[in-house]
Amino acid sequence: MKKTLKYVLASAILVGTLGSLASCGYKRDFSGNYTYNTFTAVSPSNWNELTYQDANDTQIMSYIGSPFFQYDYEFDKDGVPVPGKFVVKYGAATALEDVTVDYAKDDKYDVPDDATNGYAYKITLRKDLKWDDGTAITAEDFVYTMKEQLNPDFKHYRADSYYNGSTVIHNARAYVYQGSSVMNNAELKHATWEEGKKDAALKFDLTNSTIGSWIWGDYAAPAEAKGPAYVLVALGCEAEQAAIEALVGKSPAEIEADPALKAAFDAVVSFWKSEPEEELSLFAYQHVYPALDFDAVGIFAGKKSNELYLVLDNPLELLKEDGSLSYKAAYNMSSLPLVKKDVYEANKVAPVQGSTLWTSTYNSSVNSTASWGPYKLTSFQAGKEYILERNTNWYGYGLKENDKKYQTSRIVCETIKEWNSAWLKFQNGELDSIGIDVSIAQDYKNSSQAIFTPDDYVGSMQIQSSVSALKSREKDGVNKTILADVRFRKAISLSVNRDEYNQTCTTSSKAGYGLFNSMHYYDVENGGVYRNEDVAKKVLCDVYGVDVSKYDSLDAAAAAVTGYDPAQAKELVTAAYNDALEAGTIKDTDKVVITFGSGADNEAVRRVFDYLTNALKAMVVGTPLAGKLETEFEDHGAKWADDFRSGAYDICTGGWQGAAWDPGYFLLAYLSPDYMYSVAWETDKVQMTYTVLGQEYTMSLIEWYNCLNGVAGAAHNWAEGQVANDVRLGIIAALEKEILSVYYTVPLQNYFSASLKSYKSDYISRDYNTFMAYGGIEYLTYAYDDAAWEEYCKNNVLDYKA
Amino acid sequence: MYMFKYILKRLGLMIMTFLIIFLISFVLIKRLPIVINVTIGQDKEIIEATLIARGYYDPIPVQLINYIKRIFQGDFGVGVNLPEYRNKPVWDVFVEKLPPTVLINVYSTIFSVPLGIALGIFAALKKNKWQDHVISTGVMVFISVPSIVTAFLVQYIFCFKLKWFPLTMKAGFDYFSPSMFRSMMPAVIAMSFGSIAGYARFTRAELTEVLTSDFMLLARTKGLTRGQATLHHALKNAMVPIFPSIVGEFISVLSGSLIIEKIYSIPGVGGLYLDSISYQDYDFFMMLSCFYILIGLVAAIVIDLSYGFIDPRIRMGAK
Repeated sequence: MKKTLKYVLASAILVGTLGSLASCGYKRDFSGNYTYNTFTAVSPSNWNELTYQDANDTQIMSYIGSPFFQYDYEFDKDGVPVPGKFVVKYGAATALEDVTVDYAKDDKYDVPDDATNGYAYKITLRKDLKWDDGTAITAEDFVYTMKEQLNPDFKHYRADSYYNGSTVIHNARAYVYQGSSVMNNAELKHATWEEGKKDAALKFDLTNSTIGSWIWGDYAAPAEAKGPAYVLVALGCEAEQAAIEALVGKSPAEIEADPALKAAFDAVVSFWKSEPEEELSLFAYQHVYPALDFDAVGIFAGKKSNELYLVLDNPLELLKEDGSLSYKAAYNMSSLPLVKKDVYEANKVAPVQGSTLWTSTYNSSVNSTASWGPYKLTSFQAGKEYILERNTNWYGYGLKENDKKYQTSRIVCETIKEWNSAWLKFQNGELDSIGIDVSIAQDYKNSSQAIFTPDDYVGSMQIQSSVSALKSREKDGVNKTILADVRFRKAISLSVNRDEYNQTCTTSSKAGYGLFNSMHYYDVENGGVYRNEDVAKKVLCDVYGVDVSKYDSLDAAAAAVTGYDPAQAKELVTAAYNDALEAGTIKDTDKVVITFGSGADNEAVRRVFDYLTNALKAMVVGTPLAGKLETEFEDHGAKWADDFRSGAYDICTGGWQGAAWDPGYFLLAYLSPDYMYSVAWETDKVQMTYTVLGQEYTMSLIEWYNCLNGVAGAAHNWAEGQVANDVRLGIIAALEKEILSVYYTVPLQNYFSASLKSYKSDYISRDYNTFMAYGGIEYLTYAYDDAAWEEYCKNNVLDYKA
Repeated sequence: MYMFKYILKRLGLMIMTFLIIFLISFVLIKRLPIVINVTIGQDKEIIEATLIARGYYDPIPVQLINYIKRIFQGDFGVGVNLPEYRNKPVWDVFVEKLPPTVLINVYSTIFSVPLGIALGIFAALKKNKWQDHVISTGVMVFISVPSIVTAFLVQYIFCFKLKWFPLTMKAGFDYFSPSMFRSMMPAVIAMSFGSIAGYARFTRAELTEVLTSDFMLLARTKGLTRGQATLHHALKNAMVPIFPSIVGEFISVLSGSLIIEKIYSIPGVGGLYLDSISYQDYDFFMMLSCFYILIGLVAAIVIDLSYGFIDPRIRMGAK
């Protein structure tokens, strides 16, 4: 699932489709040269499918590969794309068969005996797949590539795509990890302390054990500065720091044998233990992954050279009941990585002095790049320019269905870091599109050539959740712990006029109120957008205090949500302040100083800081805190997110993107300590009561999450496919409400990007389609060829304001 | 002989200084905490395992020894974190990106040194006349205006409006082709304004002072014309402080200009050093640190020695 929606869409859009356009009436001219001129602020460097790290690298990747299954427009009888609709088609594959029953009783792959579908698939590849040099591509090439993808010597950045998301190839993780060792907490090995204390492999550990996770999660700063044992002592453990430190690395038997160690251990147990068997939480052990033959991994070629088999640990419903491709086929199994064996082998780099890691320079230059997609790389200058031209050996150009597509003959992408330079080039006709900067938004946002693209990114204000961190940064006359009062955080939320915020601080984004926006689908197959559902609308009304009974309909009530209520905010500030005064946690002479942190210090960041500063200062006017609230700005560079999580500052703006078609999974970002900004909010202790299928359950938020996603060991399995989508919808909404109601995450912005399109080329449709975006390079049409456009630009001033 | 000993001494000190700064740089960059950013669903363990395998968590002295061994094997490492240069040998990247930076700066120096000095001489000779006022005003303007403004103005006027030059530098490695030269011109012009103004101001100030010296009066009374006296006596003396600054500028051309390269999309080394720190890319940082430390130290020696060549009175004497 970690493949972002963007990447999947980009792949789907940029490569060929088998859909017939012959009946659509599009007449495209192939006789001329049609160059698509674009730019990037950051040049790609590593478009190797096994190792790519960011969206910049996918720029080239998207053009040089092919999908097995892909989305396409659904066209009406006049050949016009139907808004919001999509179809799933075969690309580089010609058939997909669910062969689960053939492997259900094969112990080799651990497929459940009673499984009937979703675990094993046979993919039949096209027989005319070729590399750009004409070399044939077979199923064995995909098997070789997966072996390299999971090669433990390389530890490739993208290896986890096949064991850590929804596509879990059998034994993929075990193959990657073979030979390596990890420290596991003792609970993974033993269920009882009685059993564990006999195990000499267990060692007292304040880092890798459960207590270690707690210390380093909640008290990272003091643990880093003075050691984890210090944290225990500071929190009330009745043992000396040195005595606790002496326990580290000792087995249960060693501790038992030494009275001094035993005394210290008993003190730690007394401090920590609240449930049976929790002595185990203090220990960890080293686990070494055994060697594994690749033959045991769930990917192999069939008897025919174009047959590829996959066996998965988690079922994926890639086929609908009628045997046609489901949306998941193009989402989860769009393609598998593919490298050209001879080129790949030639680009392996042995470990350097002091390292044991093999690396690769495959797909990082023209010579090291091989293409099996519609375009091939013909020129690359790092940090300056790359050029792609049609790959005449691509199977798609031989298909009649593609005769009228791929009019673009050449793609030229220049690296331009300065937007103003790109803007002049666009006005000169040298670029075919450009993002609208906030500086020209007013003049160009109504242009006929302006394109507004929604995005699944929700930008939020994140408020510090660690009371101890807030307290540790207080000093004489400065209070920060008032942020720990939920009423104060809610007041902050109600003080931000989100419409104004987005108009001031962004080019084209819109007010955001929930964790999800219009791009998040809870039922993709049936077009079910989460935010359009009643339960989701009700969440926003409840969180932002809109009384539904006062409106004609829920829709009207939801439309009235602004999230802006300065009067209520002042009441909440006053109440929080007075209670804090009474409790003695704040003095009437104290100032409240809120520290904003960021990953950079530039004009855009300062704009946000200034806006939020003004909003906060306006919030306290007319309250006892009037004139006593100040803000300060800190640039935390690349580690801004880690710093926030460790409590180094109070407020940041940040958000999440991805998994737009699985909001239930996406809740991980707000509930798992591994990802959430509010790490001190104990989602394993906050209880939620909700009724599922007529029965009321009370569980912690993280347990609800685990059930919703069918995580192993969860009390229930309410994952997709296990219960109806509307049941899951209700749980997602209930969890969203819980998360929003604590105001650690305050949504502000639903991201929209704005761009200008040149007169040279145009999209097939200006209606944004979630599955196809605007049709991409595949459907791009040209009004001018290169020569005609150059001539046009010489004789005309390009005006995009109209 | 004394000069030879002096050079040897300076070289010895240079090597020692280099080693100290090298050591400090290595330790400081390695002392920064390693940031691991994971996206949702990403396996943090394998990323950590990668860093462990690269030796990033080894004790710093161990990493230092390994690094020095690698340097002696001619391996400066590969880019790891810099988005534009991942998996690329850092030395190769640097060597590939150096020519455009050097060429643009050299062209700018070739253009601005004679022009700046000529304007300075002219202003000094016309001291307090309208010509001097015009030049001095222009000098103040171009010294005061930030290079980002000058660069944008040059780009807007010469490239966008007049279309004399391309808006950005041409791609490719044909650095000496006419089309490449033409595409470099806006950057050269933008860089030259400040330099011309600097040299003009410096030359005018030095020459003005020398022109009023007693020996200039003596030269004229000996029968030299004003031009002869200015060229052979005044200018030669005025060049004593000016020449080292020219040498210094020639050496600084290797570091590039972050702003100019960004505006004109020049694939040079400007900004590479800063990025290597921002992205904590150890191999890039150390290779660039070594290079620039060495260049800086060599420049200091060359400048010091250059005084002696320009003015014979400045020589090392025996004790």
